[in-house]
Amino acid sequence: MSTQGAQRIRDELAQAWTVAVKDVRVYYLRPGMIMFGFLMPFFMFFSFSVRREMAAAEGLARLLALTVFFTAGATGPFIIPLERRIGTYDRLLAAPMSLLTLLLGKTAVGAFFAVTVSTLALLAGLLIYGTAIAQPGLLAAGILLGAFSFSTLGLAFGSIPTTNPGDVQMPSTLLRWGLLFISGVFIPLSQMSPAARALAYLSPLTYAQDLMNYAVLGSSLVNPWLDLGVLLLSGVLFLWPSLRLHHRARVLGR
Amino acid sequence: MNHAIEVDNLTKIYGRPGSGVLAVDHVSFEVRQGEVFGFLGPNGAGKTTTQRMLTTLLEPSEGRILINGHDLAHDAYPAKRQIGLVPEESNVYTELTAWDNLMFTANLYRVPRSERAGRARQLLETFGLWEKRDVKAENFSKGMRRRLSIAMAIIHKPTLLFLDEPTPGLDAQSARAIQSLIRQLNADGTTVFLTTHQIEEANQLCDRVAIINNGRIATIDTPEQLKRAFQRVQSVEVALEPDGQAHGKALAALPGVTTSVKMGDKWRLYTEDPPALLPLIMSYATSHGLQVVSLNTLAPSLEDAYLEITGGQVGTIRHETQEDKPRRRGMGGRP
Repeated sequence: MSTQGAQRIRDELAQAWTVAVKDVRVYYLRPGMIMFGFLMPFFMFFSFSVRREMAAAEGLARLLALTVFFTAGATGPFIIPLERRIGTYDRLLAAPMSLLTLLLGKTAVGAFFAVTVSTLALLAGLLIYGTAIAQPGLLAAGILLGAFSFSTLGLAFGSIPTTNPGDVQMPSTLLRWGLLFISGVFIPLSQMSPAARALAYLSPLTYAQDLMNYAVLGSSLVNPWLDLGVLLLSGVLFLWPSLRLHHRARVLGR
Repeated sequence: MNHAIEVDNLTKIYGRPGSGVLAVDHVSFEVRQGEVFGFLGPNGAGKTTTQRMLTTLLEPSEGRILINGHDLAHDAYPAKRQIGLVPEESNVYTELTAWDNLMFTANLYRVPRSERAGRARQLLETFGLWEKRDVKAENFSKGMRRRLSIAMAIIHKPTLLFLDEPTPGLDAQSARAIQSLIRQLNADGTTVFLTTHQIEEANQLCDRVAIINNGRIATIDTPEQLKRAFQRVQSVEVALEPDGQAHGKALAALPGVTTSVKMGDKWRLYTEDPPALLPLIMSYATSHGLQVVSLNTLAPSLEDAYLEITGGQVGTIRHETQEDKPRRRGMGGRP
């Protein structure tokens, strides 16, 4: 690779980092982020877990999957339409960096929030309930890759050409709730009918939950390496609609 | 030497070709290095659409754009490094301080680490914001945000600066400060592409102006040449006492008057032949027992030229509060 090419890659990585750091500083206290990103997974967890008999470790695995899923996916649909509305997104689009760099920066924001919130949930599980983690390394990898995958999923919704966050938060929430109920979070995969399980395998959340089960409880239905592979692949694939939708926005002028 | 901007056959259709809205219609022009180029036009004429295509924010339906010789369709990266953009709305991050806004932009444009702080300080001092560097932009006035927005657009020292309506909504002091900054930037070698509907601003700042109407370039020339081309919209401005306002209809009916517009306590009478109109006005005043408080003949303004080109009515957009100095000769009826 030429020196110029290497310099360009370094610049693009630094720019993605700059975008991510700025977004974290600007948006972490926004009501939309607090509600949909930070509180929602806990609401969901307690709604479906209270008064049900469940071991602490099982509850922790479920909570980790929920926090990674909801927090990472909440960022894109909130930040990008908001930035389009107040005009700051144009500054990013006009900057000398590729669209992929911008999207990776935005992905990192959702991933950062997801890792932070799930780490807090993990600390609570470890310190309050004394839960043991069977596979700490895999847990870390699962949180990171899950955060990446669900952040790019949220980004795909955020990339819909609109200036109103409500326009994309609604369908994004609808999809995420749908995925929640088919993905073995509340009904374990092993207890599902073959048809329901086949449907569950279409959702990346299934693999995140399965991986959390393996990492925390030490047992899962799917090979954990397959879980990791699917999360990585789905994260990359979800970038494609974002790229297409940004191109569409550039054509439409939105 | 390359032009700063070369636009060839640029077209933008919103929606499907054939049934969509044609916003920019096969526009071609060049902007020379080092000039302030004004892009004038009424609302909906295609100004902002054109500027958004020039800054890569919007994809053209047709045509070619070269920025400093780089084709935006194939080679946008080096062009983007040389562009600064100040959009119509000041797009600063209100949750960040002035300093952090500048540091963010400097990072984004990969300004060398050793130069970032120095440039930010220099800009904040130049723009009168140094004392407010640690204040969040949400506490800034509109004028301060505008200045910060411009500072953010030039921290990477662009050779070409796009400004979209830089002064509307600002108080006179802030507007003048920004106009002064634009002159300074241009004097330092920055080419400026100024999109505006503030005609007087274009007159005072621009080396050349393009007037766009209905998506097409109607004309491109220097402000003075444009004014000269519209001698037919010369005018005579007269103030009569007592009760000069009551005589508008009669003045408008004088031979040679094409349009009359009330300008505060005065009447502006448009005519192709001011010398012929002057004695008629004096005669009318004498016959009606009126005193001529002031009587001035005015050369066509850029606004007049603009309205002629865009099909507007002369005098319809000038505000009464605007200063309107006589541009050719004046006859003060009273000291």
